[in-house]
Amino acid sequence: MEETDLIVRRIKNGTVIDHIDGGKGLQVLDALEINAEKGDVITIALNVPSGKLKKKDIIKVENKFLEQDDTNKLAVISPSATVNIIKNYQLVEKRHVSLPNEIERIFRCSNPECVTNSKEHIESVMDVIDKDGLVLKCRYCSRMLDVNQLRYS
Amino acid sequence: MNEFYKKNIISVRNLDKQKLELIFDATDKIIDMSQDKRREIARGKTLGYLFFEPSTRTRLSFESAIALLGGTSLGIADATSSSIHKGETLGDTVKVISSYCDVLVLRHSLDGSSRFAAEISNKPVINAGSGTEEHPTQTIQDLYTIKKEKKKIDGLKIGIAGDLKYGRTVYSLLYGLRNYDVDLHLISPESLRIRSDSTYDIKKELSYTESSNIDEYIEDLDVLYVTRIQKERFPDEEEYAKVKGSYVIGSDMVKKMKDDAIILHPLPRIDEISADVDNTKQAKYFEQAEYGKYTRAALLGLILNENGF
Ligand SMILES: [Zn+2]
Repeated sequence: MEETDLIVRRIKNGTVIDHIDGGKGLQVLDALEINAEKGDVITIALNVPSGKLKKKDIIKVENKFLEQDDTNKLAVISPSATVNIIKNYQLVEKRHVSLPNEIERIFRCSNPECVTNSKEHIESVMDVIDKDGLVLKCRYCSRMLDVNQLRYS
Repeated sequence: MNEFYKKNIISVRNLDKQKLELIFDATDKIIDMSQDKRREIARGKTLGYLFFEPSTRTRLSFESAIALLGGTSLGIADATSSSIHKGETLGDTVKVISSYCDVLVLRHSLDGSSRFAAEISNKPVINAGSGTEEHPTQTIQDLYTIKKEKKKIDGLKIGIAGDLKYGRTVYSLLYGLRNYDVDLHLISPESLRIRSDSTYDIKKELSYTESSNIDEYIEDLDVLYVTRIQKERFPDEEEYAKVKGSYVIGSDMVKKMKDDAIILHPLPRIDEISADVDNTKQAKYFEQAEYGKYTRAALLGLILNENGF
């Protein structure tokens, strides 16, 4: 049994997001809109010593199964994260998150003068122009986006 | 089929050298054509325009271009103050106007507005200025002017001076110049340098120097492209007053320039080029404005005719 398994209790049904870059856990919660107000049972471990990375964060959300859009968000915040779907204490699916070629809807363009930030009925689309360098570009205003300043919509 | 047929013109990023040259050739053709032949090119066609920022100059340039080709125009010259704007979204307005015309010309204050409009419009959209993002038809006109006046673009020393941060014509021009082998100097106050988040993808193809001092380059330039410095872009009056004078081109400065250098400006100018420059042989901004009618006519002719003209 790994050390981390001792820190965070096992869950029956839900999602375990593992190998989040140490310190990014709270940002992940924010992006995925996981919060206590919704009544989700959430277990968070921050800065857990890890062989693979130096330190990692772990989030367990009971009775919530992460979908593709959520996975996309993770790829921008912490590309090394893994997503484990647990059903009846069994690991039924393990996903490595990966950046898609385009990201729709979930982030707002950081350019306040962009048409996607206006009252028009329009959803943001970001093209991933460099997966390694994590470079995103707004398809509408063509500005390169600072991934550290992205806002979630 | 010509590749511009029913296509949008949103960004100069999508115009490679071959496409630009195709428009320049079409422009030459229009200039050389008889008036009777020109009028056949867009006969029975309608240009719709929608200006959410008033720009009499650009609008008239498009209107005179379509008239030259025998077509007509209709639209809204100042959509922000007209009744159509009250509560109505850009999307709805575009939908309505595009159903009345064969090609839609849009000017709007938001970045990306033309790309959005093109998704909604069932007619091709021409971006006539989108926020601080782009102004592609201005660049076509600018490059054509350089080509006509200097007989080439490759190999030239080009200086772009003024407000480079917010000037949409500047970005389109940079994307256009990326197709050519030019020696480029960007001259502006420190606080008005070009935005790196809008030029990240052209850095590999286009090298340039950035400087605050126009005197460093003035003697060597083949082309000096001047843009307006807007007072409202400065945090305070004092800073504006400090830099204002150093970017005004007067006849003294023109004397330092090469004899065959040219001075361009997208117009309207306020006081960044003084009136005494107008009579120098380097001043080409009025010629540039006139070329704009022909480059726009060429573009419209290509968009509206499957087999060109
Ligand atoms: Zn944008």
